[in-house]
Amino acid sequence: MKQANLGLIFFPAFDWMISPGHPERQERLLYTRDQLTEEGLFDRPEIREYRLRMAEINDLQRAHVGVPSIAKLITPAHLASAGGCMTAADAVMSGEVKRAFALVRPPGHHAMRIVHGIRGFCTINIEAVMVEYLRSRYGIKKIAVVDTDVHHGDGSQDIFYHDPNVLYISFHQDGRTLYPGTGFPDEAGSPAAWGYNINLPLLPGSGDKEIHRLFDGLIKPILEDFEPELIINSAGQDNHFSDPLASMSVTAHGYAALADKLKADIAVLEGGYSIEAALPYVNTGIILAMAEMDYSKVIEPDIRALRTPDPRCMTRVEQLIDQVGNIWRTRREVGRMLLDKCGGKWQRRKGIYYDEEGIREEQLETAHYCTKCSGWMSIDTNARGTRYGDQSAYVVCLHRDTCADCQKAAYDDALRAKQSCAYKYILLQHPDTGVVETI
Amino acid sequence: MIYYLRRQVFFARALNITLLQFNGRGEVMLLGIDVGGTFTDAVLVDNGAVYAQAKHPTTHGEVLRGILDALDAVLDGADVTQIERVVISSTIVTNALTEGKTQPVFLAVMTGPGMNVKGCFPVEPYLVSGYVDHRGKIAARTEFNKHYGLLDRQSGVTVAAVSGKFAVRNPENEYVLAHELKKSGYKKVFLGSELSGELNFIRRTNSAYFAAAVDKTFEAFGKQVEWALKERNITAPVQILKADGGTLPLEAALKQPVEAVFTGPAASVLGIEALGAAPEGKCISLDVGGTTTDIAFWDNGEPLLAKKGAMIGKYPTAVRSFHMRSVGIGGDSAITKLPQGFKVGPERAGRAAALGGAAATLADALIVLGLASFGDAGASFKALSALCHEGESPEMAAQAVLDAALDVIENAIKDMLHEWSIQPVYTVSDVLSGSDFIPQQLVGVGGGAPGLIHALGRRMGLPVVIPPGGMVANAIGAALARPTVAASLRADTTEGYYLIPESGKRERLPKRFNMQAAEEILSAWLHEKAGGWQMESSDTEVISREYFRTVHGYYDTGEIIYLRMQLKPGILYKITGREVAF
Repeated sequence: MKQANLGLIFFPAFDWMISPGHPERQERLLYTRDQLTEEGLFDRPEIREYRLRMAEINDLQRAHVGVPSIAKLITPAHLASAGGCMTAADAVMSGEVKRAFALVRPPGHHAMRIVHGIRGFCTINIEAVMVEYLRSRYGIKKIAVVDTDVHHGDGSQDIFYHDPNVLYISFHQDGRTLYPGTGFPDEAGSPAAWGYNINLPLLPGSGDKEIHRLFDGLIKPILEDFEPELIINSAGQDNHFSDPLASMSVTAHGYAALADKLKADIAVLEGGYSIEAALPYVNTGIILAMAEMDYSKVIEPDIRALRTPDPRCMTRVEQLIDQVGNIWRTRREVGRMLLDKCGGKWQRRKGIYYDEEGIREEQLETAHYCTKCSGWMSIDTNARGTRYGDQSAYVVCLHRDTCADCQKAAYDDALRAKQSCAYKYILLQHPDTGVVETI
Repeated sequence: MIYYLRRQVFFARALNITLLQFNGRGEVMLLGIDVGGTFTDAVLVDNGAVYAQAKHPTTHGEVLRGILDALDAVLDGADVTQIERVVISSTIVTNALTEGKTQPVFLAVMTGPGMNVKGCFPVEPYLVSGYVDHRGKIAARTEFNKHYGLLDRQSGVTVAAVSGKFAVRNPENEYVLAHELKKSGYKKVFLGSELSGELNFIRRTNSAYFAAAVDKTFEAFGKQVEWALKERNITAPVQILKADGGTLPLEAALKQPVEAVFTGPAASVLGIEALGAAPEGKCISLDVGGTTTDIAFWDNGEPLLAKKGAMIGKYPTAVRSFHMRSVGIGGDSAITKLPQGFKVGPERAGRAAALGGAAATLADALIVLGLASFGDAGASFKALSALCHEGESPEMAAQAVLDAALDVIENAIKDMLHEWSIQPVYTVSDVLSGSDFIPQQLVGVGGGAPGLIHALGRRMGLPVVIPPGGMVANAIGAALARPTVAASLRADTTEGYYLIPESGKRERLPKRFNMQAAEEILSAWLHEKAGGWQMESSDTEVISREYFRTVHGYYDTGEIIYLRMQLKPGILYKITGREVAF
């Protein structure tokens, strides 16, 4: 079989929605399907279309711990979209295609490690599931995730925050003006992974010029420096000038040209809710670019609605190139210093709001460091107002390389939590197999 | 991709079919004619039984002679006034395309923004301004520069093909352009949106192009057929077989001649259906001819249609066809000796050595292995001996030849299974229900079928059925094919109109409009269309449907209803034959 340039997993989930009238509703990709079909893209020799396979619960649990369990929080659609990403990974890793695009829904980049319900339209972080799958199945170590959604991918940040082998880069509309309100440069990773979480908040109104300057001046050199085995693109499309939920000015051509420069091995659809005016064109552009075809003729019919960005937008970009470039260049020294300072244990407290279900979660996350391995992690979570009532859990997460001593310490910790009788659930996550033990 | 090569009769064996049973409606006389590049076959079905069948050479260039000879042979003694219908299947269109005997076409497309269409069509098109968006709104009106069209007109081009992106959502720009071209002197203009109501601009454009390119050939063929029938006093309506196994009246086919491509394999599939040979459950049929084996998939006695249109050369079209494939393995397949092992086909060697041919064919290998018995077995042994590698007996060589042939067929089946299994799905419920095709049985028809398919069945671990009467399957298929029409309806209730692109019918939505109302409208249109063609209309069935509510901001703004229906294809009735050798 001849290698195709692009493997396409198109799964519009025409029978899945969050609720009637919700932006995540059945016809979100209807007009995109119409455009792609009408263009004849599914017939092109450069593109090979794949039928997705369903993920299994354990695949999801490599990245997530659900309370009370992942199985009780998801719908079959989540297994399909996560499975679509895994199908994309298989297509690339088998060499059948050069790169792949999982154009699937539901999306995932707001889903964090601990899951109590739906937040930011997401329950399962499909990129994180794919990253963990690539590691377990193919032994891939260093992966870069470039998030081009207009919203900060706080779920992806949460899951990769302690992992120096996953470089997470997100550019997005400034959190002071948009959900979820996070994503500033100082959220640069925990001491063990300092500098590997890169946030680039842009001013509202930023457009093609700004994101391309940011890419050329900062993202590209960092990627080259990091030398990942694979690049993943969280290909949200809501930076588009017509998006109803955000205020940016990127065009379909701008997105396509970015995809062309980034040359991601695997792209995964995230947000994008201008379902008529943007998605059909942005997706056509990204697909053409990834398939190494001419995307210069992809122009939105209402391109005249595009406004010229305020000059301050570019000023912000230059500041970010400077400031974040510095974080990147000094990451090793600063990381070492932070590690020394924290004394083997690092903690962060998080208040997490699930906008979709009105859940308020309080978390205390502790990274336990070890000189022989990556250590382990414990998360104390309390959530009010979930669909299963108020919840509390103590979660212990092992890493793939957690040594025997640390494993013992982790189990002891879980048992101590159990004896304290302070939690409804005590759970222990094995990232390689996706087994979540109930202690 | 479907390659169609004219099948050859494999075994020199006469046969006769007697009626055992048929399901109603058999009280008519039907004439089926299959005009191939090598032979013209005719079958007269009377009272549900094959009354007569004939095979005559199609002398090259003299289609008419072949038709007349075949007609004379089957009509001998029959009362031609009793003939109710004539169905023609022909390779004329396929051959014109493969041999490049097509006429030049002025191709004009309105692409709007999107993929660069360079290299997507058999000729470089004239890019014309104007385009329609995915909701059917005219984003730009067409402005045709008459100058372009005139250039081609002056150099003698008489047909044009016109196609616009999303013209199936709003054909207005296509109409305007077609009108301009007709004014410039083009005799016939084919519109993409009239050839298919489905999305896929590239496929519709190719369909329109090929329709225009074969128009002259097909029209000439139609005239010859009409003349021949008139000459023999047959006044019954004439229909043309399509690749999807349905028929169209000749005058309707003249408007979409590309539909007459790939009718040979379709006839063979219908023949299997007519013989009632496809059992319950999922099975694979193999029609083994002299040169090729046609492979088709079946589900509960019905042949599966391909999800996408047929390929003509390397160009995808909107022509509907069965999910089938032809491989170059048949009884007369040539055997090529390789340093190790053999290659079988795709070339034809001519007659088997057992029948006096010069070299060994696949049939000779079957004779040596005891899987077939006809002609002079000694000659087969001798021909195989000549091909033996060192230390190889004729039996061993024959086995290796058989294995090589089965490899080709089995790989094609595996490809087809793979193609079916990777067909993407768009809903969660479809993912959960799955649609894997797991064959439970093989059905072999055609002269070469018995020995070869039994061997294939053993290899694939599947039971094999060889229905009687399989040798004339495709001639019978043509005679018994049902008329079909497919059409789609799309309504965007915010716009207040519905559109049936195949007809260009765009009308205001009735007060109460829903999926059921859409079905009634489309069904009525299909029946009306069939009535206008004097076709006996069968039941209509829904091919696919979609329903979406559209929301703007937080408010429901309307509904999108898409519906595709057809007059049920298939055969008029089944006959069960019994093979009698004499």
